[in-house]
Amino acid sequence: MAEARKAIKNQVLQRALADLQNRFGRGTAECYRRLPEGPDLRLKAHEIRMKTIENLDVVLETLAANIQKNGGHVFFAKDSRAAVDYCLEVARRHQVRQVVKGKSMVSEEIDLNAALMDAGIEVSETDLGEYIIQLAGDTPSHIIAPAIHKTRNDVGSLFAAKLDIPYEDDPPKLTWIARKALRQKFLAADMGTSGCNIACAETGHITTVSNEGNIRMSTTLPKVHMAFMGMERVAARLEDHDILLRLLCRGAAAQNMATYVSYIGGPRQADQVDGPQEFHLVILDNGRSRILADAEFREMLCCIRCAACLNVCPVYAKIGGHSYGYAYTGPVGAVVTPLLVGINRAKDLCLGETLCGACQEACAVNIDLPRMLLALRAKLAEGDPAWGVKPADRKEKLLWQAWSWMIRKRAVYDFVLRLAALVQKLMPQRDGMIRRLPPPVNGWTQGRDLRPLAKESFILRWRKGF
Amino acid sequence: MYGHFLDLTEEKQSGRVGIQAFLRNRNLLVQLVERYRHQMGTANQKEFINRIKMALGKPLAASRDTTDLFSSEKSAESRSILERIKNRNAAERKKLLEILFEAAGPINLQVVSCDDISAVTGAITALVRAKDPEWGDQKSVVAWAHPLVERLNLPAVLSEQNVPLFVTGSKSTADEDLRQQVIDAYIGITSADFCMADTATLVMRTRPGQARSVSLVPAIHIAVIKVDQIIADLKELYALLKWDPHERREGLTNCLTFISGPSKTADIEATMVHGAHGPREVHLFVVTA
Repeated sequence: MAEARKAIKNQVLQRALADLQNRFGRGTAECYRRLPEGPDLRLKAHEIRMKTIENLDVVLETLAANIQKNGGHVFFAKDSRAAVDYCLEVARRHQVRQVVKGKSMVSEEIDLNAALMDAGIEVSETDLGEYIIQLAGDTPSHIIAPAIHKTRNDVGSLFAAKLDIPYEDDPPKLTWIARKALRQKFLAADMGTSGCNIACAETGHITTVSNEGNIRMSTTLPKVHMAFMGMERVAARLEDHDILLRLLCRGAAAQNMATYVSYIGGPRQADQVDGPQEFHLVILDNGRSRILADAEFREMLCCIRCAACLNVCPVYAKIGGHSYGYAYTGPVGAVVTPLLVGINRAKDLCLGETLCGACQEACAVNIDLPRMLLALRAKLAEGDPAWGVKPADRKEKLLWQAWSWMIRKRAVYDFVLRLAALVQKLMPQRDGMIRRLPPPVNGWTQGRDLRPLAKESFILRWRKGF
Repeated sequence: MYGHFLDLTEEKQSGRVGIQAFLRNRNLLVQLVERYRHQMGTANQKEFINRIKMALGKPLAASRDTTDLFSSEKSAESRSILERIKNRNAAERKKLLEILFEAAGPINLQVVSCDDISAVTGAITALVRAKDPEWGDQKSVVAWAHPLVERLNLPAVLSEQNVPLFVTGSKSTADEDLRQQVIDAYIGITSADFCMADTATLVMRTRPGQARSVSLVPAIHIAVIKVDQIIADLKELYALLKWDPHERREGLTNCLTFISGPSKTADIEATMVHGAHGPREVHLFVVTA
């Protein structure tokens, strides 16, 4: 809440967010329209995703077997602890001192950086946005554009202070300063980590997508490559992968194809001259099997984390990513975060959205996010022992029950209306709107003004024949 | 078997047994740890997959027929795509080249079509002369061991400019030396397996002699392909990799790379900048003869 208020007052952030939505929001819609199959390819993609999710056991076992056949290691991690421990153990075995990190939302989810640093390992984020964020000791505010909240001046002062160079605020020059600084890190690192955009089970590959080339660097130069993927991020066949990859590039950055796409299926082979000597894939559950088990929310596992929904969401456009308080932000975060960390704990996220439906229209795989936002709110209103949800606000529920009783009693309703019409004159008003209501209904006017009741009700005017 | 024991006794007598037995035991220990790790991994995987089966409401023991999940036979669509690629005529190839030119513009990929290989050699020679190294003042070039690249006759033309050429060909160069050569080079020269016209994407598999880093670490990447390596799009590529008998034997290899133009970023105030971490320039030469 406090973060959101701060974000709304931050003029720089407001301009950056508006600009982001103008370019990417519209660009993505245009990209979908220009698809040879038309925008309905998103519906086909949804079908493909659901079919894969419903056969996830078979698909994952196939993926793992194919990667192992190629000499790769696959580790199934039931939670963040297991994933982090595995990574640390491999790092210890190879006496890793420096890690270069390709952008990965899963590694944010499991808080990998902190664990590596606690073990005395130097971690360098290598995506330019993430690098800026790491130098500033900040957290990312957008899935694809993590440093959207920083201006060129912010970055200039930051680089001047941290890299011991003269101040510079030209974006190309700043980019090349980071290019130079990070090149040393790539060359010195013993381990590179990456996420996985969409794996392909039948061929046994993970796919990483980037424009900067940092993921290729991280997965080519160090002697160990450690990849992390959420257990749902997999396609069964190449034909499915084709559709998902094309939609991912369009949803993420309104591109037909990202600059780099790498299909990695194992370590360097005996006759090859470069590439990592070991390849490890960590497949993460961390609460996803619980989402899978609930038919109401299973659809959420279709998500390929392209962030297209952030670029059209009116709420995200105003409050930015930090206000969400978790790794996954925007509409996707509003559904997936409560499901992963606890519905009560992250209730503000699903209560804060507008249900306008823009996210579903922008979604590369047409996920019905508004439906799930409503379903989460219903759980908060009614409580749900299966998800461990306590009813969030008993007072609100009581008020609605009273309302429901009242509007079914004509006489009571008319009486209350008349009373309210009198009482409202005592309420503080501005521009013809009521600013504040008295307790116990003061919560209603905390974030909005209220239109006063009309002098005559509709039914009265109807009776008078207008 | 008894001989073995006898040997051991002899070793004991000669006093070497301590070290050797220790080494043998250590190997055994490593093997045991590996096996333990593997078993733990398998148990772990089983538990993980069972959790998914339970979530999906499937019986734990059941294994299902997966033919509808992983196609085991080409679809009519795949078949017609393969036919289309096979029967592509010169006019259609020319059309694809035009599409490639169009797609290359917006992503800053420099495409030049050349009638013959000597024209490519000339253009590369000019680039080597004109461009300055990014990370030092020594010019050196690194190139794939690849038939098409070999036809460029690079050793001769580069030695005229006193620019050393390193080829990532044989295992005779130590990996560490090769790594250093790639890091020091300011230009990397490769070919590619295919080029997808509609997104101007180079497609490269990983093979002996064709190092992944050549197209990545040097500041300038030059690729040379023949016009018949151009295909229409991702659908055609996947159909080839999956169903063409020749392509499918090699598969995607352990690392298949797509490259569409030079590396770029827009992470600072959404300003597009070329040369993020990968090459800042990419030149593609298409030999049409």
